[in-house]
Amino acid sequence: MGRYHYVFPRWSNALVAVLTLSALVAPLYVVFVVAYGFSPETTDRGYQPVQPVPFSHEIHAGQLGLDCRYCHNTVEFAAKAAIPPTQTCFNCHTQIHKDSPKLAPLWESYETGKPVKWIRVHDLPDYAYFNHSAHITRGVSCVECHGRIDKMEVVYQHETLSMGWCLKCHRDPESRIRDPKLVTKLSWGLMFDPASQQWMIDEDLRRSESDYWIDLNQLAPSENCSTCHR
Amino acid sequence: METARTLRGKAYWRSLDELADTPEFREFLFREFPAGATEMVNSTERRQFLRIMGASLALAGLEMGGCRRWPKETIVPFAHRPEGRVPGMPTYYATAMEQAGVASGLLVTSFDGRPTKIEGNPQHPQNQGATNAFAQASVLELYDPDRSRHVMHRTEGDRRRWDTDKFNAWARKHFDGLVADRGAGLAILAEASSSPSSRPCGRSC
Repeated sequence: MGRYHYVFPRWSNALVAVLTLSALVAPLYVVFVVAYGFSPETTDRGYQPVQPVPFSHEIHAGQLGLDCRYCHNTVEFAAKAAIPPTQTCFNCHTQIHKDSPKLAPLWESYETGKPVKWIRVHDLPDYAYFNHSAHITRGVSCVECHGRIDKMEVVYQHETLSMGWCLKCHRDPESRIRDPKLVTKLSWGLMFDPASQQWMIDEDLRRSESDYWIDLNQLAPSENCSTCHR
Repeated sequence: METARTLRGKAYWRSLDELADTPEFREFLFREFPAGATEMVNSTERRQFLRIMGASLALAGLEMGGCRRWPKETIVPFAHRPEGRVPGMPTYYATAMEQAGVASGLLVTSFDGRPTKIEGNPQHPQNQGATNAFAQASVLELYDPDRSRHVMHRTEGDRRRWDTDKFNAWARKHFDGLVADRGAGLAILAEASSSPSSRPCGRSC
């Protein structure tokens, strides 16, 4: 007894209650934070790396109206939509803005033969196989997965590209299929709303077109695991 | 420096340094960990160190461009893409492999110039699409690190790597003289082969 007898202050009674409660809640909170913080929604969406050459899709695909397939020309028959070689840029840029300082790294690549090291934005894990041509030829537009690239000054990842997200469409394509000839028209399926002076998604048109094309081509997207996990 | 003549250590030893038993070696043994590592016995110092490590770990996660699931990957296309070349799509080459003098037709799958799989060529009369273990394994021959990748110039007791410009300059000079002699004195060393196209030309060439 005496000086070895512990005397806790009065407020430690309340502290015990608070600590018990937080000990019960904390694991749940941690699980929630990790589940959200490490999900593709947080880690992948919005990824916008700085590229070695300041190429603007907004100017080329948007203002100039270049078709996606002019540069990404393998997308209709190959699994990968290839980033174009430097010589594709110089189909025009040997004449247009050829002295621009923004083109300096491109000229260097063109003359030395060393490629430009682009940073990959839309990255799928190596255990997942994705084939662009299977989707493009069936009427899945570029915009469904890549968003409005023609409005992006610097490309960012618009969708999560997670497995759950892919399966959502594979299980029910609903309004995401269109005429295969219109896959690169990113502004298709929008209607101008005079009331709000904004372009709104025309759900009815998208749904009716989608139903038509799914029925016409008898589309049945695979839900088999080995379609992608080869 | 101690030599084997001035050994002072025990009869059993684990290294020559231990056998020599120099004062430097004893110091090295005493300092089991590098200088400065044993100094952190003070608890506040340790706490400070752990704080710094934790902070740096947290900051390491925040990379420029956001906290990402996958590490940064680059796409490196051609500067000048050859005509008809599609990146990522396999091309198939019909070739043949000689085993014990018998050729078997093969189809090699090549991704971006890298052969990955060998199958038999179904149209070849010899094997008609079949391969054996040697043919399957021969894909690894192409990735053999001992394969010579350069022109090698061998003289008496010396072997040097030459670049192709140097070889071309030498070859132009050297082979010009042989054209006049119709190749007399020229020898090409090659593997034994039953291939009709590598049969040495007789007088009829």
